[in-house]
Amino acid sequence: MLVWSKSGRIATWAVAVPLFLLIYGLPIGVIVLASVSGQWNDILPTKLTLAHYSDAFRADSFDALKGSLVTGVVASGAALVCGTWAALALRKMKPVPRRILDLFFFIPSAVPSVSIGLGLLVAFSQPPLLLNGTKMIVLIAHFVLISAFTYGNVTAGLSRLPIDCEQVAESLGARPFYRLRRVTLPLLAPYLIAAFSLSFALSMGELGATVMVYPPGWVTLPVRIFSLSDRGAIFDAATMATILGAATLLVLIGLSRISTKAMVR
Amino acid sequence: MAEATVMERMPASSKPVVASASAAAASGSRIGFEDVSVTYGSLTVLHSFTLTVNPGEIVALIGPSGSGKTTALRAVAGFVKPSSGRILIGDRDVTYLAPYDRKIGMVVQNYALFPHMRVDENVAFGLRAHGAAEDVIRKRVPECLAMVGMAAYGKRYPRELSGGQQQRVAIARALAPRPQVLLLDEPLSALDAQIRRSMLDELAKLHRDLPNLTVLYVTHDQTEALTLANHIGIMRDGRLQAFGGAQSLFRHPPNRFAAEFLGRANLLPASDLQPGEGDRAHVRFGGTVLSARNHHRLPKGSDCLVCVRPHDFRFTRTATEPNSIGGTVVSVQWQGDVHNITFEAGGQTVRMTSTPMASPPAIGEAIAVHFDPDEVTLVPEDARHG
Amino acid sequence: MAEAAIAGPAPRTAPQSLWVVPPLLVLAVLFLYPLALIARASLGEEAPSFAAFEQVLKSGQFIDGLYHTVVIAISATAGCLVLGFILALVIAFVPFPGARLASRLIDTVIALPTFLVTLAFTFIYGSAGIINETLMHVLGLELPPINFLYSQWGVILAEVTVYTPFVMRPLLATFSLIDQAQIEVASSLGARPARIVRRIILPAALPALVAGGSLCLLLTVNEFGIVLFIGAKDVITLPLLIYSKAIQEFDYTTACVIAVVNVVLSLGLYTLYRIVVAHFGGKSAGVV
Repeated sequence: MLVWSKSGRIATWAVAVPLFLLIYGLPIGVIVLASVSGQWNDILPTKLTLAHYSDAFRADSFDALKGSLVTGVVASGAALVCGTWAALALRKMKPVPRRILDLFFFIPSAVPSVSIGLGLLVAFSQPPLLLNGTKMIVLIAHFVLISAFTYGNVTAGLSRLPIDCEQVAESLGARPFYRLRRVTLPLLAPYLIAAFSLSFALSMGELGATVMVYPPGWVTLPVRIFSLSDRGAIFDAATMATILGAATLLVLIGLSRISTKAMVR
Repeated sequence: MAEATVMERMPASSKPVVASASAAAASGSRIGFEDVSVTYGSLTVLHSFTLTVNPGEIVALIGPSGSGKTTALRAVAGFVKPSSGRILIGDRDVTYLAPYDRKIGMVVQNYALFPHMRVDENVAFGLRAHGAAEDVIRKRVPECLAMVGMAAYGKRYPRELSGGQQQRVAIARALAPRPQVLLLDEPLSALDAQIRRSMLDELAKLHRDLPNLTVLYVTHDQTEALTLANHIGIMRDGRLQAFGGAQSLFRHPPNRFAAEFLGRANLLPASDLQPGEGDRAHVRFGGTVLSARNHHRLPKGSDCLVCVRPHDFRFTRTATEPNSIGGTVVSVQWQGDVHNITFEAGGQTVRMTSTPMASPPAIGEAIAVHFDPDEVTLVPEDARHG
Repeated sequence: MAEAAIAGPAPRTAPQSLWVVPPLLVLAVLFLYPLALIARASLGEEAPSFAAFEQVLKSGQFIDGLYHTVVIAISATAGCLVLGFILALVIAFVPFPGARLASRLIDTVIALPTFLVTLAFTFIYGSAGIINETLMHVLGLELPPINFLYSQWGVILAEVTVYTPFVMRPLLATFSLIDQAQIEVASSLGARPARIVRRIILPAALPALVAGGSLCLLLTVNEFGIVLFIGAKDVITLPLLIYSKAIQEFDYTTACVIAVVNVVLSLGLYTLYRIVVAHFGGKSAGVV
């Protein structure tokens, strides 16, 4: 407790709580409100409607929602496999090559997403790999962007794993792959879930690389929101944004439930 | 020099062990360290360590933390690679064998039960890893759980068990695949005192039930070592300081460190050793002549230490008995079942314990204590003997 | 017999380190190869030359973009540090009902896409937004009085909102390690809050502030969504310049040159971030 007097505390809250709400509560509230607005010419909307939501589950918008979900799941799944593999492989290495490779696996998180998109566009528009204009290039862009975060999360989890359990398993006759399957991965499960959630959230919100590489048939939610808001359909954009936020949070909350369950055991 | 005396005092290790591989499981396997050194970079944590645990025997390695005892155990398990020397289990050289090929059981301080598996799955783990048949597992798991008194807990998760119960499960898990040797790394250190005592009894009983099991037991607690072990190795700074039968090591410690670490003996500096009848010898301590056993055959005229356990002193108020030391009381402590008295004699602080006294001495009072020469040993002075 | 079976040390280190090859290969093809091609493309289409580089680096557009990128990044980071420190201080040391909710909200904001806040700002600060409408009603104005959103201030405000949680998270982790008793003893000795903050909390929070600040700098330099959504004509940053050159003008060489500069800038900031974290220790900085 830093401020002892009751009046002092109240004064602190009186400044901090509204500030906090203004900064974080208001934007979220406004977007949700706009998503149900039929008309907003005054201070507050004059007419409420659910029409934007019924539009959202039709045609282009629904395709974008599906596109985002599929991209998120596939890219996060691939990043999880790759990141876990890398983290496990690096664990057994000598310190110096290990630190160098560790840095290498982290670097994609430092490169601007637009540049990654540009790179993929340049690289995969020419032989030997012609992927420009396919869904695959969007998946690759998302995979590259989130791989570092997945790798980082799994590495952090591995470093917190009780080493005794794995050694006891080995002393009981468990060969490396059996130990990995029966002990290491189950113990790592909460961290794998956390890594997947983070990747999924990042992928759902990815704009910079997607906007560089997306083919006409594979639009993600952020791209759709941008094109809606760009052409002035801001209520529809707000609706899609609300759906994007809600979908992301739902998946995050669901996964964190599973993760807590796995952690308790 | 000290190592040479240790080597001499290891009759067990020089005896050739004849155990064929096929009979190993039935009659137990030895654990052999042959000149094992372990280094991490420039740091040597185990120096030319040589020791044998005979089949069916319990050997305890004790020593302060950082003495290398856990390193020695982990070298047997295969988690530490020796930089030189050989490690044998039975008559297999396992030095470069992976841990999962060594057929060992291991129990560690913090139990390390697999938190995501039920107790019976934990116990079955080793059997499954070895590819045992399901009906073998169904028979063996309850058997092992019954052995440690946990038969009723098979369907629980580790987090639902107390520390003592978890450690029992860990022992059952280690024993389930019928290992040739059992490695116990401070198995009782995480338990509170009362449970530790009862677990100690159970470990002793377990070994009576499995007399062929060879056990290497690492601990920093001398009570555990003295209660369980046939032989005890005392370690310091990566070296074996002393090795011998539990009783003889306690009664006749070969050096100062062994005497102090095992049973906190008083070591009175004495001089001018004169051999007497039998293994008796007389030495000069301050102004008095004391008699004690010269178990280590220290030469005539040498300086040495008189090793007296606190409970070997008998209390008198005046120096009427032979083998008496006079002193001044520094502190008196009553602990219910004993009296601890500290006094100063010949410039040394000496501790004694006695049964509770009706009229204990006062601080500053002059007292005399004496001891039975047969209970007390002369120990070589480290400075001279290496 | 048993001894003959196992002879000599088994060379088990070589195959084990080979396990790292598959993910390394994946990243090399999908990340390094494209990056290398950007670098190659920036040197012109035929013989490598720095002609394109020179031309782009001297162009007004690029200099303008670099200027905006740096100014926005530095201002936004400074804003994040101040706001983040104050909010974290209140949440950690002046606990109020709902403080836990607040820190959950922060985690949520981190998980949400950055451009959402820009969209919200349109409704709040936009020319037909809540604030302007209110002011026009109250003051009877004809034109919206507040008009900063479509300028670099709008971008900075949006970035401060979005990236402040990245400063707060390590700060809250650090604050939870500060012994509350230390603060209680200090206040019992008569130290005023301001003094406690200056003498006890600020020094302890320094690693987290530096780590969070350098992370913010990196993220704001690379920020794309916010700038794109605000869409102000005169606020062009490097990532946006790359986008408009490549996608709208099909001028890949120029885009690649700017991308090289942007990547080098980012990697430099990332190196700084890693050095800072390594120097203060990852734990005390509370970084994932």
